[in-house]
Amino acid sequence: MLLNLARKSSFLLTLKTTFPRFTMNALLDQLGINWRLLLSQAVNFFILLAVLTFFVYKPLIKIIKQRNAKIKEGLDKAEEADVRLKQIDEIGKGKIKEAEQKSIDIIKGTEEKAHALEQNLTRKAEEHQKDLMAQIKKSSERAQEEANKDVLEKAAGLVKKAIIKTVELGPDKIDDALINKAISQIKNEN
Amino acid sequence: MEEISLKAQQLFNIGSFPITNGLFLTLVVSLLLITFALIFRAKIKMVPGKLQGAVEMGAEALLGLMDSTLGSMASAEKYFPLIATIFIFILCSNLLGIFPGVGSLEFHGVSGEVPLFRSPAADLNFTLAFAIISVIVTNIIGMASVGVFRHLGKFFNFHGPIDFFIGILELISEVAKIISLSFRLFGNVFAGEVLMIIISYLAAYIVPLPFLFLELFVGMIQAFIFATITLVSISLHTTIHEEH
Repeated sequence: MLLNLARKSSFLLTLKTTFPRFTMNALLDQLGINWRLLLSQAVNFFILLAVLTFFVYKPLIKIIKQRNAKIKEGLDKAEEADVRLKQIDEIGKGKIKEAEQKSIDIIKGTEEKAHALEQNLTRKAEEHQKDLMAQIKKSSERAQEEANKDVLEKAAGLVKKAIIKTVELGPDKIDDALINKAISQIKNEN
Repeated sequence: MEEISLKAQQLFNIGSFPITNGLFLTLVVSLLLITFALIFRAKIKMVPGKLQGAVEMGAEALLGLMDSTLGSMASAEKYFPLIATIFIFILCSNLLGIFPGVGSLEFHGVSGEVPLFRSPAADLNFTLAFAIISVIVTNIIGMASVGVFRHLGKFFNFHGPIDFFIGILELISEVAKIISLSFRLFGNVFAGEVLMIIISYLAAYIVPLPFLFLELFVGMIQAFIFATITLVSISLHTTIHEEH
């Protein structure tokens, strides 16, 4: 304790020797510290702090935040777009597969229908052909019958005429005629 | 060789208010920064130009540092103006202090022929004012953050003799912080000025260049140190109490 006091007093003595009129005011004066200048520096700092805060820091932080938000929004949207694109791609692939399946089904159905239609048409054509054949047959039979009838009628007329002619001709002439006929037949056979 | 003065020289008086060369350059720096702020505000836009891009890059770097120190981006944004202003003001003052003309332009003032400009940080009023602001504001932030009584309980702790002693030490450390902050900045900048005067006196050309670069570096480092110590102080006053 005493040692400390002795040291302190020797320090003060040194100071007093160095600065003969050592007081707090003298020290402050030596260092140029003036409370009015100190206050003016502080006021100056606070004015600058207010100006920079209002005109620089706040708008700057605001704009940085806005830009970061926009970047984040853009990245989120890009990510969402990627996911949607993948979904759409998958949906598109599904739709294409579905359409392919549908087209195959349609072609198959059409082929089946066409086949059925073909069979139906063939059957109808055959039936129609049969009908036509039957009609032709009937009509030919009818024509033949008519021809036969006509022939018979004509034959009857000819016989009738022949009989009349025969009746009208003499028996010599008939014989000559028969003999000539027979001779011409023999000639032809040779 | 020009006279080396520990204190800033008086240029003129406005009424009874003395205007020193240190204060004069402080006002010039303030005006330049205010002008820059106004121009910047008018030109700020969503798609940044070169100037805005550079400012944003610096701001984001400082915000990142503050975020890692304070633990949250919200706190970083809250205290960003104070830390950024301390850094920018000291940085600009130190850089402007080594500009050609500062120290060499003379003014016939009330105390005779004196340099018109003096680096603001080479005036103890400037550094002391900043140190006092730093300590007071960080304590106010601490009080606002953890409560007045809880914050003051750190300095006036009556739970036991050891706690009381630690509290008193904490209080002394706050006062010591003012002295260390102010004299560190003042010492570095003033020493730099003295060094530059001496080197320029010994060899006027080429030789002072490395020292000029050294002063640029010291100016930036000292601004960074002052801002960082204030930032750490805010962090200590707002988080340590919460942990206990």
